[in-house]
Amino acid sequence: MRKFLVLLIVALALMVFAKDFIVVGTTDKIRSLDPARCYDYFSSNILQNVMVGLVDYKLGTSILKPMLAESWDVLDGGKTYVFHLRKDAVFEDGTPIDAHVFKYSFDRVIKLNGDPAFLLSDVVEKTEVVDDYTFKVTLKYPFSAFVSVLGYTVAYPVNPKIYPENEFYEGIPSASGPYRVKEWIRDVRIVLEENPKFFGEKPKTKVIIINFYESAATLRLALETGEIDVAYRHLDPRDIIDLKGREDIVVYEGASPQIRYLVINVTQKPFDDKRVRKAIAYAVDRKRIIEDVFVGLAKPLYSLIPEGMWGHKNVFPERDLEKARELLKEAGYDENHPLTIDLWYTPTHYGTTEADVAQILKESLEETGVIKVTIKYAEWSTYIDYFLEGAMGLFLLGWYPDYLDPDDYVWPFLSESGAKSLGSFYSNKFVEELMIKARGFTGQSARIPFYEKVQEILAEDVPYIPLWQGVATCAAKKSVKGILLEPTQIFRYYILYKE
Amino acid sequence: MSLKAYIITRVILAIPMMLILLSLIFFILRIIPGDPVKAILGGKAPIEVIERKRHELGLDKPIPIQFVEYLGKLIKGDMGKSTLTGRPVWDELMERFPATVELTLFGFTIAVLIGVFWGAEAARKKDKTMDVSARVFAMLMYAIPIFWLGLMFQFLFGMVLRWFPVGGRISAAVSLKPITGLYILDSLIQGNWTALKDVLWHLVLPGTTLGLVISSIFLRMVRNNTVLMLSQDFVRAAKARGIKEKVVLYRHALKNAFVPILTMMGLQLALLLAGAVLTETTFSWPGLGSYLIMKIRYRDFPAIQGTVVFFAFIVVVISILVDIINALVDPRVRY
Repeated sequence: MRKFLVLLIVALALMVFAKDFIVVGTTDKIRSLDPARCYDYFSSNILQNVMVGLVDYKLGTSILKPMLAESWDVLDGGKTYVFHLRKDAVFEDGTPIDAHVFKYSFDRVIKLNGDPAFLLSDVVEKTEVVDDYTFKVTLKYPFSAFVSVLGYTVAYPVNPKIYPENEFYEGIPSASGPYRVKEWIRDVRIVLEENPKFFGEKPKTKVIIINFYESAATLRLALETGEIDVAYRHLDPRDIIDLKGREDIVVYEGASPQIRYLVINVTQKPFDDKRVRKAIAYAVDRKRIIEDVFVGLAKPLYSLIPEGMWGHKNVFPERDLEKARELLKEAGYDENHPLTIDLWYTPTHYGTTEADVAQILKESLEETGVIKVTIKYAEWSTYIDYFLEGAMGLFLLGWYPDYLDPDDYVWPFLSESGAKSLGSFYSNKFVEELMIKARGFTGQSARIPFYEKVQEILAEDVPYIPLWQGVATCAAKKSVKGILLEPTQIFRYYILYKE
Repeated sequence: MSLKAYIITRVILAIPMMLILLSLIFFILRIIPGDPVKAILGGKAPIEVIERKRHELGLDKPIPIQFVEYLGKLIKGDMGKSTLTGRPVWDELMERFPATVELTLFGFTIAVLIGVFWGAEAARKKDKTMDVSARVFAMLMYAIPIFWLGLMFQFLFGMVLRWFPVGGRISAAVSLKPITGLYILDSLIQGNWTALKDVLWHLVLPGTTLGLVISSIFLRMVRNNTVLMLSQDFVRAAKARGIKEKVVLYRHALKNAFVPILTMMGLQLALLLAGAVLTETTFSWPGLGSYLIMKIRYRDFPAIQGTVVFFAFIVVVISILVDIINALVDPRVRY
């Protein structure tokens, strides 16, 4: 009560806004702006605009470039990384970002063990300050994708004066990037303004306001009525098509690293028979899903490593019902003795389109005349329990990478521990060895043959059936320029401007 | 029993009631599939990481032990931290509650105004146009799904006519420092008239949607009870004494019809304060209803438990208040 009264008395003055601002609307939410805890898309999105890491991606590409690290050396056959830091980087309060800050931040992530901590703790053995501007990380094993992990928010340095050592920090972050957080009212809005202490390029628009909406329908209306300038995540595919027809609105489409696939529990009958799994892979109709459900806003996917990522190889076959029937016949199924299976989906976690996807999958499998599909569904948290327990045989799932490297598209799926956490229970020592070997080489060209082999085995063993890769979309007023939907999913506000 | 003794009894009885409710929620949450760690990390992190985190949160302990530990903290006023955001549940509730209060009071006022006045007039002019239109209106509003009405309002007044914003509590360009969280009050305190206008402007569509739908319940009840009262002897006697019709209606008939109406209004208000889920979702109103839905989706145990305890508390407080008001309105009411 006293606190309330004090607050009541300390009535603060009106904030004066600069005229040049852009309003972005989203249905996403911010969970935490502490890099040690942040593990969801929109929290990362904010951090990527107010903080920087050792490395960053070149604009519009998934190619890494130095950021806080001017350069780095890889020693001991890929087990030790030494980063040479730039000397002009500071947090918004003037605290220099040096090797001590990095050690503090990395150790803190591992110690606090937040949601994304395993990305560092699984590979990092120890961190050392060599001198004020030289930071050394020793890994538990050679891991060539380590620099890609450093591009993710978990490895961003935090201001030791603001972020406490022994607990998560839930307030406004101390900025090291192009913007700083000026105001944050949870689930209502967050206001970003130019960070004058940032060493890099100045933002084209000084103030960015992000408004949070509860439903896609309201988000669309807010854009149409001009309450917001940009609608980013998540408009419904049908709304996107409608908005494309409007003269005052531009719809942007870009690559997305998200992949969608069917998981098959290879230990469950009848899916323990490889021929059954292959038959399903032959029967799924990717094109119909994309045309009917996503009205063209997705791309068919024939491997777990998405198209556009180095190392990708198309390994799954095109649709062939004849082949599917043949395989099923070999496995002992025909019109009189059909294969009866359940297909699972979860209704809200992947948006509102999931039920339609399941229906099309059912129809495409039943077109063989030999498969009978029953569609089942469970709400997300129940769904997870079911697949971790191995209760579901065939189900839809999706993947957003944590770091942009082929490793993050194969290791979490095909390693024994990964397959267990995705409910396929696949285990193949040879594949695991290939992936570990690939982790030991630093050059892309040396790693590619390993990933190609891994993908070939994937298509042979079929513990997963890749279906489609997403297309990122965004709709904005015609006057807003500079929107770039990057393959990294980083949405950079500092390059946006109004004409 | 005196009113005072009655209130004390009610408060004491509320404690076991809340305890029963809390234990039901606590155990059901843990028995049904899914838990907070899996809901956040499932399908992403290795299974060993998930197990380690469950252990850290104490989710692998026997449920009765978890319950005792939770109760121990709750008694000290600690509702725990949200597993989704890591913030104290109480802080999160207090951030969301003002939004719900503002929407509820606005919607409730509209509902009471329509319900009481139209209801009373409809009773006075029974079977005339006023009455028939009231009955049709009430039926329609009761039957229309609230989110559909909201969508239509958004489309008509937001999209086509552009009179009101389609969602949110405040425009992006309008700045207001939250003090109490009640934006109307905050803008008044700060003398920020731009913000006041903007906040009211944002309240119109969701408030009216909620108000219209709730008014249908009030309208029918007020009308029917008043019709009943108007046929009573004391009303006829009042009319025979030459008292003006309006006075008879509002001072005599309506006042006597009010006891059951008040009880129902109180319960309705308590329900609304627990969050008007559909209205809040349709209009992106950051209140308690949308908060609870989000937390259920992620199996955020401490947040769900905290919210339920808070709701139960509101219901208890309001029902006691209603009883007090009833006793004041109708001197015959004794406990």
